[in-house]
Amino acid sequence: MAQKPKDDPATYPALGRMMTWVDKKGSDKKIVWALGIACLIVFLLDFTYEKYGHFQVEYIRGFYAFYGFVMFTGLILVAKALRFFIKRPEDYYGDKAIDTEEYPADQLDIQENTDV
Amino acid sequence: MFDVIPTAFIFFAAAAILLTLPKGPARGLLLLITPIIAALQVWNAGFGNFAQVGFFGFELELMRLDGLSRIFTMVFCLAAFLGNLYAWHVRDTVQQIAALLYAGSAIGAVLAGDMITLFFYWEGTAIASVFLIWARRTEGAYNTGMRYLIIQVASGVVLIAGVALFYREAGTIAFDRMTLESPGTWLIFLSFGVKCAFPLLHNWLQDSYPAATVTGTVILSAFTTKLAVYALARGFAGTEILIYIGTVMTLFPIFFAEIENDLRRVLAYSLNNQLGFMVVGIGIGTEMALNGTASHAFAHILYKALLFMSVGAVLFRTGTSKASELGGLYRTMPKTAIFCLVGAASISAFPLFSGFVTKSLTLTAVAEEHRIIIWLCLVFASAGVLSHSGIKIPFFAFFAHDSGKRPKEAPTHMLWAMGITAFLCIAIGVYPAPLYAILPYEVSDAHPYTMGHVTGQLQLLLFALLAFAFLYRKGIHPPEIRAVNIDTDWTYRKAGPAVLYWLSWVVSSCYNWIVGILARTTQRTIKRLYNSHGPEGRMARNWPTGAMVMAIAVLLGATLLVNFLI
Repeated sequence: MAQKPKDDPATYPALGRMMTWVDKKGSDKKIVWALGIACLIVFLLDFTYEKYGHFQVEYIRGFYAFYGFVMFTGLILVAKALRFFIKRPEDYYGDKAIDTEEYPADQLDIQENTDV
Repeated sequence: MFDVIPTAFIFFAAAAILLTLPKGPARGLLLLITPIIAALQVWNAGFGNFAQVGFFGFELELMRLDGLSRIFTMVFCLAAFLGNLYAWHVRDTVQQIAALLYAGSAIGAVLAGDMITLFFYWEGTAIASVFLIWARRTEGAYNTGMRYLIIQVASGVVLIAGVALFYREAGTIAFDRMTLESPGTWLIFLSFGVKCAFPLLHNWLQDSYPAATVTGTVILSAFTTKLAVYALARGFAGTEILIYIGTVMTLFPIFFAEIENDLRRVLAYSLNNQLGFMVVGIGIGTEMALNGTASHAFAHILYKALLFMSVGAVLFRTGTSKASELGGLYRTMPKTAIFCLVGAASISAFPLFSGFVTKSLTLTAVAEEHRIIIWLCLVFASAGVLSHSGIKIPFFAFFAHDSGKRPKEAPTHMLWAMGITAFLCIAIGVYPAPLYAILPYEVSDAHPYTMGHVTGQLQLLLFALLAFAFLYRKGIHPPEIRAVNIDTDWTYRKAGPAVLYWLSWVVSSCYNWIVGILARTTQRTIKRLYNSHGPEGRMARNWPTGAMVMAIAVLLGATLLVNFLI
């Protein structure tokens, strides 16, 4: 699946070269830490202002943080369970469905990156 | 006859002119200029009814402009412009004509002041749009297009049946607010529901949009469903049941989107979820809620088009839009990746992006009605949007594991289309006043950028992102795998044919059995008759004359004896 091209980052567009930082060793940890700190900040921000809302829950500090984390996790777990029931092989609807056919190449402009 | 030319006719005229132009930039320019002319015309026309025409004793209103129809017309023109810019490279006459007729029909339907005009344009969108699917020119696309067409045309048929009943009850065909109390209005409601992809009626959307061409999907994503949203807002604002329908719509697609592999289908599920927010707003029906719906439709058309454009550009350059085959494309498609991230941030409603300022209107309207369950569901659905459109689309296409693909950056015209759309998404988020100014009702107290709103939304999104980071790194997040997921289309693509096959087997077996019995009986009868009456049969034997005389003598003798005895 993963074809190994003659991969030379020097051929990437300048913007792409800059963005390769995200794949540097250790960058993923930095990103997660940054996210963690951002979360902490917005959580603490909740204690700095007068809360206003239509429902009681909106007055609970950190409600959105808690709700976001828990419901997102729940969503992923339920979706994973759902996959157990509804997943079918790609050719389930036969060979006359778009899932198995290639997109007609004459309507595309498939090009490898060749810029230097 | 008309005060102004109905806007739809501008598109139809352009379609006719297009045929006379040579393939190339001239056609591309016409495709770009037409929506601009249409938008200018609508903007300068003011409010009112501008084009009445008699039709078999009915008065049709082809051009009703008010606050609600204007904002939808404007955004349809904008979507047509951006879609056509994105499709600048397309030299396929069928797609170009279809794009013009489709946009024209959708705008015609929005401007229709009566339901017969609405019906004509309603069917027009169905027929014009299917060519954007068929233009892929594969057998799979043909079959999908057929299913799409049947459902869309059926929606129109239900509509005209409803209109006929409604006319008999109410004596009018005017397209105004209705209440769900008669079979006629229920049928009209159902027809709108099919096009709006209500739960269980939704699957044509996820079936057909990934089947269209690269550019076709971008154009499809703007019109049909938002026309239905407009129709519901016009006809059924404040209808309680819409609140519940809309809530279910926001919820169930997020689970399907999470495990879908084809990114264009993920976006179709996500579109369905976004429609839910608009439908809830219509159900609430207050001025603020309808403003929420209209502004959300406006912003949604833009960021959804942007997301379809970026995934389309990936498909255009790599030949696939399946998450399992993609990843790491930011290296050589960085601009597309950034535009995709802007679309993702907008749909996820990050502050400073368009979704934030429009969704908050709907959420506030729900909160003002004190419907806490609905409100909690919508907030959950907002986190769900982040999961598939905010994270999954950009992350698995452009980042995540390196697929080894090094496609060239998207063509310049696609980058321009994406760039303008991305700019608008940010502009609306940063400075929503111009959008608020063209909403159907006056915006009195919309303050999206309060400390509470911003912190709340950031908490929701950042902690959801944190949950994603945690689940992904722990390997709990469902991996992208080559597979399809069954949805309600299973009923008519698998179950329906299977039941028909079984029924035909039962009927043909019974038929064969009965015919077999009849045949055997007939054969036996013929055989018996042959035995008795055939050439060799007892009744057909050649008897000698003597035997005949003998028989007569016996008969006469018997008669004599009987006479004598009596």
